[in-house]
Amino acid sequence: MKSGLFIATAVLYAIACILYLALLMRGSDSIRRLSGTAFVMALGGHLAFLLLESPTPTDFPLGDLSQVLSLASFGIGVVFLVASYRFDVSVLGAFGVPVALMLFLASGLGSNYAPVSAPVQSAVLMLHIAANVLGLVAFALAFGAGVAYILQERLLRRRQLSGVFQRLPSLDVLDTIGLRSVLTGFPLLTFGMVTGTFWILRGDTDGFYVSQALGLLAWAIFAVGIVLRITAGWQGRKAAVGTIVGFICTLLVLFGYVVRAAGGSA
Amino acid sequence: MRDFLVVGLSHRTAPVEIRERLAVPPEQLEGELRSLVSGGGFEEALLVSTCNRVELYATSENPGEAMQHARETLSARLPEDGRDDVLYSERGVAVVRHAFRVASSLDSLVVGEPQILGQVKEAYDAARGAGTAGTLLGRCFSQAFSTAKRVRNETGIAEGTVSVSSIACELAKKIFGHLEGRRTLLLGAGEMGEAAARSLRKTGTQLHVTNRSEERAQELAASCGGRAVPYERLTTELADADVVVASTASPKFILTPELMRGVARSRRHRPLFIIDIAVPRDVDPRVGTMDNVFVYDVDDLQQVAEENLAVRAREAAEAERIIEEEVDSFLAWRRSLELAPTIVALRKRFGTVAEAELARALSRLDSVSPEDRAVLEGMARSLVNKLLHQPMTQLKAGAVEPDGAYLIDAVRRLFELENEAPTSSRPTPEPDKEPSVKHLTAATAGPTGKPK
Repeated sequence: MKSGLFIATAVLYAIACILYLALLMRGSDSIRRLSGTAFVMALGGHLAFLLLESPTPTDFPLGDLSQVLSLASFGIGVVFLVASYRFDVSVLGAFGVPVALMLFLASGLGSNYAPVSAPVQSAVLMLHIAANVLGLVAFALAFGAGVAYILQERLLRRRQLSGVFQRLPSLDVLDTIGLRSVLTGFPLLTFGMVTGTFWILRGDTDGFYVSQALGLLAWAIFAVGIVLRITAGWQGRKAAVGTIVGFICTLLVLFGYVVRAAGGSA
Repeated sequence: MRDFLVVGLSHRTAPVEIRERLAVPPEQLEGELRSLVSGGGFEEALLVSTCNRVELYATSENPGEAMQHARETLSARLPEDGRDDVLYSERGVAVVRHAFRVASSLDSLVVGEPQILGQVKEAYDAARGAGTAGTLLGRCFSQAFSTAKRVRNETGIAEGTVSVSSIACELAKKIFGHLEGRRTLLLGAGEMGEAAARSLRKTGTQLHVTNRSEERAQELAASCGGRAVPYERLTTELADADVVVASTASPKFILTPELMRGVARSRRHRPLFIIDIAVPRDVDPRVGTMDNVFVYDVDDLQQVAEENLAVRAREAAEAERIIEEEVDSFLAWRRSLELAPTIVALRKRFGTVAEAELARALSRLDSVSPEDRAVLEGMARSLVNKLLHQPMTQLKAGAVEPDGAYLIDAVRRLFELENEAPTSSRPTPEPDKEPSVKHLTAATAGPTGKPK
């Protein structure tokens, strides 16, 4: 039952992915509707899967890494869905849904993962994970907007103004989405960093330096980006590149956990 | 025989001075239609009046005379000389095709422009309001609207803008999202620059105008609804603007990388869209490589316009195919209208013969018992039914085929049904050209609206 639901959800995500890419490349009202439907169905399947996974209804499904990945993937899906209606930018799904699919698949691969470290009993660890997952979700949206921005700017400079250029939103909208998502994600990431450091200082975890360094790097990139945006009015392509690099770093942190949980050394 | 006709003029046949003489303001449409129909000659009437065309669509039992009448009515409002050259007219299926092409914006000055559909819908509503749109015009135009929708959805005919000014606006929107509250700086006094600035002004941007000659700047600002600013403040104006339209007559670059680097610093990375419409150019190409600065020159814009036009031309061919499909389906509907009376008439004809023969036979037989009489009557009925069964089936099946009209026509002629179904209404050919049935299948595409 569970594996069937997992496969069905993954297939729906994959279909939504393909449809969103088709929407970006070809664009038509019917593809728009179809992609939206497939995506909502995928999210529905995912929600059912999360509820099935959850040990008890009151427990937050953050017990092991697999659940963390699954929840992050679900969060990214929801955020893209909301953003696509809020800003009327459903084509952004072409950049966000693949990320959600990737994390969802990773969560499935990790169904054999051992629990994160000690079972998540500590409130601090719980908050740490929750903040980081939410931060990741926000950065995923910023990442999608950033990729779209760079693509859009490139098309504008190369004077390729038909097709994809017509379907992507304006540079201003993409930049705004990027900025707002980073501003939302950054406090969460900061909180995640602080609680993570607290965890390490308590000495409950062994050396885990690469992930920590990457986390710090991501934090620094976002911090510098935000400072430059606010003080120097930074925007546009460079800001988008910063956001993308920052997001990849946060993703790598998570990837480090996956590798470690799967038995490799981080 | 009720048939369609259209008489009118458009941008293809008449200059604006003539078109405006025929134009009917929307609030007078209904009155105009009522007086046209009450004047006699037309069963139904619909008047399309836009700045690019004035056309009277009508149906009449006597289309030849009605067309003459319509031509006279319209040309009475035109100046004496050359009034016949500007009016075109069509009859029969060509009218249906023309209506479909007009509503789908294939006959428009700018092919694919979206306004025409709304204007035709208004014309249709007015005709409904005046009670001058009946079954035929009603069906023709509601199918014209669905055709236009199909053309829009299934082809890329309405994609992309095709004028330099509107392309500039589209690009600005793709950079800035919405344009309300943004600022446009018009630099110089070139004609095309002025047109672009006007279009931008219409989208809600504030307009500042600057020029080496203060006086010229004042004039331009007044005519475009902008504000004149002194040329000495160019650097600050550049720093504050979002869109710059450059169209000076200067032989040298005015916006140089040195100047723009200083401007960029005070702009704090805000995007700047520069439209360089001047020839020779006003903007050094190196400016276009700066971060958050986007420069488009007149060739770029022209190229976009041409690409979009080429796309539309390609798509128009596909649109014509859709039009033909829809015209065929309209004709099938008309044939189905004729099929019913034909079947009724055929049954009636056979029934009458059978009854007459039965009566004659019975009168020659004496002492027929009621039972025998019933048997004979039953035989006559079933004879008629059996004889008619095969032809009826074939007729019903064949009538919806593209050449179904031949079949119906053949049946009508074989059994001389013409008088028995006076309600028949077939589209007739263009006058004195071909027999009517051939005309039904004639599907030669081609621009209608040429003067005849």
